Amino acid sequence: MIFSKEEIVLAYTVEKCPKCEKFHKRDFSEGDILFSISSKCTFCDGITLIEKIFGEILQK
Amino acid sequence: MSDETDPLMMLVWIFPIIIFVFYGQQIQLLVTSGEIKKAIKKLDKFRFNSKNELINYVNKNLDPSSDPTKKIEQFLDYFTIMPVDMDPNGIVDKVRHTVRSREDYTRNHIQSLFPNIDEIKLSRVQTLLEITSSLQMIHKIVNHMFLTAKKQKNYPLILPLQMMLPFIMEHAKAMNASIPAFKTGQPLGDGIGPMVVGKMMLGEQKEIISFQTVFTKINYEKRKLFLVKAEGPASTVGRPDDALEKIVDSNKVDAIIMIDAALKMEGEDSASIARGFGAAIGGIGTEKFQIEHIATQNKIPIFSIIIKQSVKEAITLMTKEIADQADNVRSQVYEMILENTVEGQSIVVIGVGNTSGVPQ
Repeated sequence: MIFSKEEIVLAYTVEKCPKCEKFHKRDFSEGDILFSISSKCTFCDGITLIEKIFGEILQK
Repeated sequence: MSDETDPLMMLVWIFPIIIFVFYGQQIQLLVTSGEIKKAIKKLDKFRFNSKNELINYVNKNLDPSSDPTKKIEQFLDYFTIMPVDMDPNGIVDKVRHTVRSREDYTRNHIQSLFPNIDEIKLSRVQTLLEITSSLQMIHKIVNHMFLTAKKQKNYPLILPLQMMLPFIMEHAKAMNASIPAFKTGQPLGDGIGPMVVGKMMLGEQKEIISFQTVFTKINYEKRKLFLVKAEGPASTVGRPDDALEKIVDSNKVDAIIMIDAALKMEGEDSASIARGFGAAIGGIGTEKFQIEHIATQNKIPIFSIIIKQSVKEAITLMTKEIADQADNVRSQVYEMILENTVEGQSIVVIGVGNTSGVPQ
């Protein structure tokens, strides 16, 4: 269709620090698995766990 | 002379009527053919794309010794003949046997092609094969119906296809869109059930209870919970019916709670949650039959929580709205346990759905 917009799905990973309970959203990278250890918390010295992986639709 | 009695004007009116009386069906067939041809072209594109994606995945991740294209193409034409149902007695066992035999064959075939493949990659290749093979089959059937109607110049023959086409295209588009999520091992909308139960299992001792299915025993408010889900993060739905059978054989179970994604109706909000009774499980029906049979024999009530979503949402990367509901669903499971059971009772909680990208 001429007027239909192209849709792109952007995948995101949300990390949660079990120590300070803060969330951090970043782009999904291959190898990310739910509930696994992800990275060092940017707010405290805790280690974040992957809480959610989801997609958001971007219309072009 | 007025326009109505002008012989030329009468011809202008009568001529199209005569054309439509004798050639109406052919004209309608021509108009409809255009739409169907476009859909068939799209289906062909999906079929081609899914096959390419599968071959690329195999070449990139499995390092095959020779070109796998021919072997994969051979496999795509494999068919399954469903058992005869003139005598429905025992039909469920026959269907289960046929479907499981096909699954086992596919798994063994992939393993023989790539002997060093791990379980997670094997499950992904198996799912991608099923998607490609389904898209190929859809294209074949739609094309066959279209060509038959065209060959016979039979307009009524094309009507059912025209009516069903939007639904068929919705499914085909969803299947095509699901490929990236399966390739990268991302959680799907259908994975909300396993995601809820998987989080409840974290840090607990887990064991394999049936094929590709894990279970954990935990205590909650002086009740015993048996948590069951497919073994993640592989792309599988496991065998929750076999798991339930084993649990019920060796324990007294007082309630079953099933958490699953369900298709929303038009107008309903995506990711809305509903509670109800009965076995919430999709698929071909054999697992549902088995779960209902076990529950009926042992007089166990089945409660369910469903998370509504569209076909596309169910088999593509989980949306934010669905992922945001996970904590809410978990608290509703605990609420349901407290409302419907008393201290000392045992409850089986089953997270139903494809557990791709969802460990435990």
